Amino acid sequence: MPPGLDSLKHIVVLMMENRSFDHMLGALKAQNPLIDGLTGNESNLDTTGATIKVQPLAEFQSQLDPDPDHHFPAVDLQIFNGDTSNPRVANMQGFVKSYYQQQNDVGHSAKILYYFTPDKLPVLTTLATEFAVFNGWFASIPGPTICNRAFPHYGTSFGQVSMDVFYVKEPYKSIYERMIAANPAHTAKIYYFDQASSTMEIVNLLQNQPQLFATYDQFLSDCKAGTLPDYSFVEPNYNDHDGDDGEELASDQHPDHNVQAGELFIASIYNAIKENPALWASTALLIVYDEHGGIYDHVPPPACTPDGFVAQPNDTGTGMPFAFDRLGVRVPAILVSPWIPKGTVVTGRVFEHASIPATVTKFFLGDYDPRSPREKAADTFLDLLSLPTMRTDGPEFQTS
Amino acid sequence: MAVIKVPQPPKSAFNKNRPVSALLKNQILHLHEVERKFPPAQHSNIYINAIKTEGEAAAYIQKVTARLHPEGAKRVRFDIAAAVETKAKSRTKSKPKSQPKRK
Repeated sequence: MPPGLDSLKHIVVLMMENRSFDHMLGALKAQNPLIDGLTGNESNLDTTGATIKVQPLAEFQSQLDPDPDHHFPAVDLQIFNGDTSNPRVANMQGFVKSYYQQQNDVGHSAKILYYFTPDKLPVLTTLATEFAVFNGWFASIPGPTICNRAFPHYGTSFGQVSMDVFYVKEPYKSIYERMIAANPAHTAKIYYFDQASSTMEIVNLLQNQPQLFATYDQFLSDCKAGTLPDYSFVEPNYNDHDGDDGEELASDQHPDHNVQAGELFIASIYNAIKENPALWASTALLIVYDEHGGIYDHVPPPACTPDGFVAQPNDTGTGMPFAFDRLGVRVPAILVSPWIPKGTVVTGRVFEHASIPATVTKFFLGDYDPRSPREKAADTFLDLLSLPTMRTDGPEFQTS
Repeated sequence: MAVIKVPQPPKSAFNKNRPVSALLKNQILHLHEVERKFPPAQHSNIYINAIKTEGEAAAYIQKVTARLHPEGAKRVRFDIAAAVETKAKSRTKSKPKSQPKRK
């Protein structure tokens, strides 16, 4: 076993909200051609037939308002540009048309192709270039948040393609239940920001197993004390609210929340781990986004192993069923560990959110059969901790 | 490697009067699904269809989450409460179970 895996004791996943790979990291291609980002020539046609190119004009806030549509029918339009024939080819040509439908404004619809330059996102782009960035990490479903966030917890969404309430179906159990029921038992937690932000995993886990949950403050304390569980899933702050310590700014980066607040949040998670040397040496941190939020990406989502469920036409809203046999739009994903070679670009492999429970299960539990077909087929990522000796460098972020 | 100073968002970024997104609306619906199973005395008594802003959403989310996961109250308060409880338990250790709880 590589020394990095020998030393590994903790896996931490931070899942942010609603930004595509190209939007956040696409500009890194200019620094490293191995990164499958933007050349600057990618384009969509707008509703007048004019060619609209991607532009490095993304702003932290107030630009993607109204929120781009990212429900199943809208994402279908974004990926297939309205083609409903069978078979059909994903061409990523419907993003501007989809955003136009939000407020019938041709000029505004072009903003869905805007992307950030690296200087605007110093935390995310530094971590991407210092550790491992995935060229092919896709949302699990071409749809919205709730069904996509089910995949890191369960390896499936139990047939859901929407934001509706869903209930766990046997035989699949959450990764947390698997961990705590194992022999020997492992530890696992979901850390939400605070009670006013809460979690997106409500009707199954928070309602029935509240002992699995803790807060961001507890995460910071656990990092400092060296009491982090074997597996941790961290959720950002989903709304602006008044907290005990004053104004709590949403840090999830969901449009129209401030992207810089998310940068600070990501840095705080990284810092909390890195500031404890023993924890830093024994932890892999995955930073990933739940889905693209309707924002442009140039890579067509690939086909995938069907999930064993079928969403009916009434549920998809496209007039067609969906067999969970195609992934959603590509999202930013970065793996951080001192055992990863600097500047790693993960190419030629496909990952999705089912890769998270697949990886955690493989590392901590080994053989575990009652998993969804998607999770069983999902690639795992701990092989990226490949260095023979631990790095002693790594960026430091000053957040105050 | 040099220390990277992470820029702070402007003060104007905060807007608790921002209309709720589809995500927050659905988070509220999920919480409401759970709240319906609470005993009536533990209902939030917040009419969720009237929630229009993030600040209002946060108030509702906080109330229902506190009922589901009271341990999620601010850690500093939790620690103090735990300490008080521990102290109280040690004082009342030999007293009969019918002893009223120390407040």
